[in-house]
Amino acid sequence: MRKKIRFQNTKAETAVYFCASLTGLLLIWYLAVRYTNLNKVMPSPFEVFAFVGSSFVKNIGSRILPFHILASLKRVFVGYFLACIIGIPLGIIMGCSRTGKAVIKPIFELLRPIPGLAWIPLAILWFGIGESSKYFIICVSAIVSIILNSYSGASQVDPILTGAAKMLGARPIQIFFYITLPSSVPQIFAGLQVGLSSSWMAVIAAEMIRASEGAGWIITTGMESGNTVQILSGMISIGLVGLLLASLLRLMERGLCAWNIQGK
Amino acid sequence: MKEKKLKYTLISVASIAAFLSVWYLVTDVFHIFPSSTFPSPVKVAQAFIRKLTVKTPDGGTLATHLAASLKVALYGYLLGIGIGVPLGILMGWFRKVDLIVKPIFDLVRPIPPVGWIPLMILWLGIGMRAKATVIFVSAVTPSIINAYTGIKQTNSVHIWVARTFGAKSLETLIKVGIPSALPMIFAGLKVSLGASWMALVAAEMLASTEGLGYMIQMNRMVGKADNIMVGMITIGLVGAMLTWILEKLENKLVKGGRTK
Repeated sequence: MRKKIRFQNTKAETAVYFCASLTGLLLIWYLAVRYTNLNKVMPSPFEVFAFVGSSFVKNIGSRILPFHILASLKRVFVGYFLACIIGIPLGIIMGCSRTGKAVIKPIFELLRPIPGLAWIPLAILWFGIGESSKYFIICVSAIVSIILNSYSGASQVDPILTGAAKMLGARPIQIFFYITLPSSVPQIFAGLQVGLSSSWMAVIAAEMIRASEGAGWIITTGMESGNTVQILSGMISIGLVGLLLASLLRLMERGLCAWNIQGK
Repeated sequence: MKEKKLKYTLISVASIAAFLSVWYLVTDVFHIFPSSTFPSPVKVAQAFIRKLTVKTPDGGTLATHLAASLKVALYGYLLGIGIGVPLGILMGWFRKVDLIVKPIFDLVRPIPPVGWIPLMILWLGIGMRAKATVIFVSAVTPSIINAYTGIKQTNSVHIWVARTFGAKSLETLIKVGIPSALPMIFAGLKVSLGASWMALVAAEMLASTEGLGYMIQMNRMVGKADNIMVGMITIGLVGAMLTWILEKLENKLVKGGRTK
């Protein structure tokens, strides 16, 4: 008889696959480094983990790893928060009102194609090499996808729903709060996700170009000294923090728009 | 209807004109900002024309920088979406693929493409390959995410109908899942394009000897804000042109589901 593992629930299944695929990845990495000449350019995973572990007590540069991460996170939160409070309303206004769209869209379309990171040289000229230029870069990087998704969410509302509401005598403000806003929330959250990863990327880039602490600084100094272990450790911690940020946002999404979480 | 359209076009034109004139007023007329750090639109336009022929201070005309950037960006981008979209679709449709790939993807995804730059420079040098790989990484992520979400958001009623009429899983995917995910996939392609273009700029700012990112970085070092803006505008324009091509393609391929 064929044996088959039966899972009590999907959570356990997910966890098992999660562990299996990560173990597989690590195993391939380890074996590749151990038995091929890849080890000339790539340290083994354990070396990297040991480095990450030791960096919790030993300084990299002037401070320990958690403080580097905190420095980056602080920059992200300020910039990202700015992008949210500017971007979401702008996008929704563009999606709901034709006049708003006619006013905002051309300017947005002019500035949008300029990638956030292309603002770095100008930001440094304008705000110096301190914190405010980093906030600016992070905000500019995050805001585009936030505006874009809020806009497409608000403009892709099912016209049948708005039509029905109008026919039943709903006022525009009611249509906005009961139909437009709820039905654009999933799109807005998609934008927030992309925006958060953009701002995490922007902080890394900004720190790589000009900083004396932070996660981006760790990997650039690793590059300058040819220290692959430090680069990979930096990348892993950047990845883990990014994962944490994304999961936090997903938890929030689960709370705020439960109707969109079907089969996820 | 036609009159209304005209009205909104006029508002748009007025909005752009207001933007440009405010820019002009705060720089050239009232001198609120020094022109060395915030040049007026007129100065930027002059610098743009100058940059078409003059090679200083960054060792290339606008056209040579642009050609270098475009080549790398398209190379990495096409590779990224070619792998990303199918992978995202598979992850969205097949539970097993989702369960196996998602953890790895979720682990690699949060590492910003820019974060790969130091490693790629160490491994591949500062040439074309390192930059193309970084762009590949940045293009692949949004295309996976959007293809995945698009498939996940397929209307279950449509799937049930297909199943009821006897369609196999693969057939349902091709006839129901992918078409209904197409708008989302195209949104992803656009985000990918933006991300690749951005990664290109970052890669060129950090390690390059040519390209638009290199150009703006060099001009920051010599403090020429007008040339920086020329570079940014070129980056923006070309990015917009590429997006426009993508949108034309989207209008051709995506049927229905759009209210315009």
